[in-house]
Amino acid sequence: MNFKLQISKFKITAFLFICCSAALLLCCAVSSAELTMDANHDHINIDFFYHGSEVSVKGSAAAGSELIVKIASQDGHQILKKKGKAAGFLWMNVGELKFEHTPSLYLIAGTKNPDDTIDREEMDRHVIGYQALERHVEINPVANADEKTRWFQEFVKFKESSNLYAVIHETIFTSVNGNRQDYSIKFAWPYQAAPGDYEVTVYAVRDRKITETASKNVVVEQVGIVKSLADMAKNNGALYGIVSIVIALGAGFGVGMIFRKGGGAH
Amino acid sequence: MYFYLPVALTSINILMPIGLGLAVGLLSGLFGVGGGFLMTPLLIMMGIPSTVAAATDSNQIVAASTSGTYAHWKVGNVDFKMGLHLLIGGFIGGLFGVQAIKILKEMGNADFVIKMTYVLMLGIVGTYMLIESLQSKKKNRTEEEESVLVRFLKSLPLQTDYQKSGVTHSALVPIAFGGFVGILAAIMGVGGGFLMVPVMVYILRMPMHVVVGTSLFQILFNCIEVTFLQAYTNHNVDFILAVLLLLGSTVGAQVGAVFGRKLKGEQLKIILACIVLVVTVKIIFELTLTPSQLLSQAGGH
Repeated sequence: MNFKLQISKFKITAFLFICCSAALLLCCAVSSAELTMDANHDHINIDFFYHGSEVSVKGSAAAGSELIVKIASQDGHQILKKKGKAAGFLWMNVGELKFEHTPSLYLIAGTKNPDDTIDREEMDRHVIGYQALERHVEINPVANADEKTRWFQEFVKFKESSNLYAVIHETIFTSVNGNRQDYSIKFAWPYQAAPGDYEVTVYAVRDRKITETASKNVVVEQVGIVKSLADMAKNNGALYGIVSIVIALGAGFGVGMIFRKGGGAH
Repeated sequence: MYFYLPVALTSINILMPIGLGLAVGLLSGLFGVGGGFLMTPLLIMMGIPSTVAAATDSNQIVAASTSGTYAHWKVGNVDFKMGLHLLIGGFIGGLFGVQAIKILKEMGNADFVIKMTYVLMLGIVGTYMLIESLQSKKKNRTEEEESVLVRFLKSLPLQTDYQKSGVTHSALVPIAFGGFVGILAAIMGVGGGFLMVPVMVYILRMPMHVVVGTSLFQILFNCIEVTFLQAYTNHNVDFILAVLLLLGSTVGAQVGAVFGRKLKGEQLKIILACIVLVVTVKIIFELTLTPSQLLSQAGGH
């Protein structure tokens, strides 16, 4: 009995020892390859004079790994009007398309073109690059895959024109630091990006696989007068409408009075 | 300097809306039109979502037309009685127009019908005004040529003397034509100034200077209604953008009104006809040239 108890105590101690050693080893392994990331903002305030911002992302990664930085919002959906030919030669709106699982902001930057550095499955899993995004989104109604591709390309063109989508390569600045590399990149944060939550993610890639990721949230929100006006427009439309009308009437009369005084000769 | 627009959710160089307001206000004070045909597409080009552009434009027109009406009223060029009758008609017409859009949408291809009606109306009105003004400039038109129409109008009940305009009509005439313009304007999603001005000039036979003032007066009330409905139901009015636009447009309307007094009625008609024709040609180009982008934001006109 006593002997059995001793054996089980020994087993428990051995098990704990193995666990601790494994945890220690794991920690060491991770710390040697650990991907670090920091962004200069986690909060962007939209005030009256806001005209976009700059988000700089920097950190360090194991030397030799390729890096990809993605800034995106949560997936949402967007309904857009599509133009087509009516009566054979007149361009006009011919219906609507619903784009589902689309982020409102989607910026990708890489040390190299992600297509050349990662496997397709990995790109799909993490939705990296326009091709992966195309496979990720749903567009309705479209008749076939070709039509989906065509309208996805139009969608990208539409988003790129407002600086909300971009895929850029070889824009991450890296410098070797021992067995590690430091990286940094600056993104021009578009003023068109609506208030909301965004995620900045850095992927480290080795042997065409994503080995590590690090991420940070950026919150964009309206403050001050901008916030008060936006809230009032949304939550108190009647009062907002009346104030807008009264001020317009007042401005019209006011300018009329000024001209009457100044332009009495006419 | 840039300002952020809280409803349009974009940033804009303040000189652009002020300059645009000035130009459109000038047209408004000169010709008695709201100028939405010019303002809305230019705002969209500046990156304002189409729904916000149209709604904010109506808020801005409230200011510009107040300023313009005031300037014309000072020199006795607003016929309030006529304006009121046109407004009653326009209001009733607008209600029918909204129903007509619903029916068109159910029939499908509504956009096609609306665009075609718009182009045809602009083209016909512009051409007619241009030819008529050029001819009358040459021969100094003699009185009352369209005798059939005139006799019919004179035979209607409720004959009213519109002193400011110097004309006598049945009160039903401005109400009916106001209603007709109201239906078309609602279908086409425009203010209708470019239709109302020719109706007042050619059918109601009002002098051009009174037409401009009276048109602005009734546009003012239409746009108050539209602004309120847009703010209340669609939350699409951007107050900051409207203020920037009205800084220019209220001044522009005054300058336009002063400048308009120096021009003859026929000259005003010729310039307005040319502007309407230029807009027609622009829309025809838009319809036939391949657009650079095939997608646009939903919800606008």
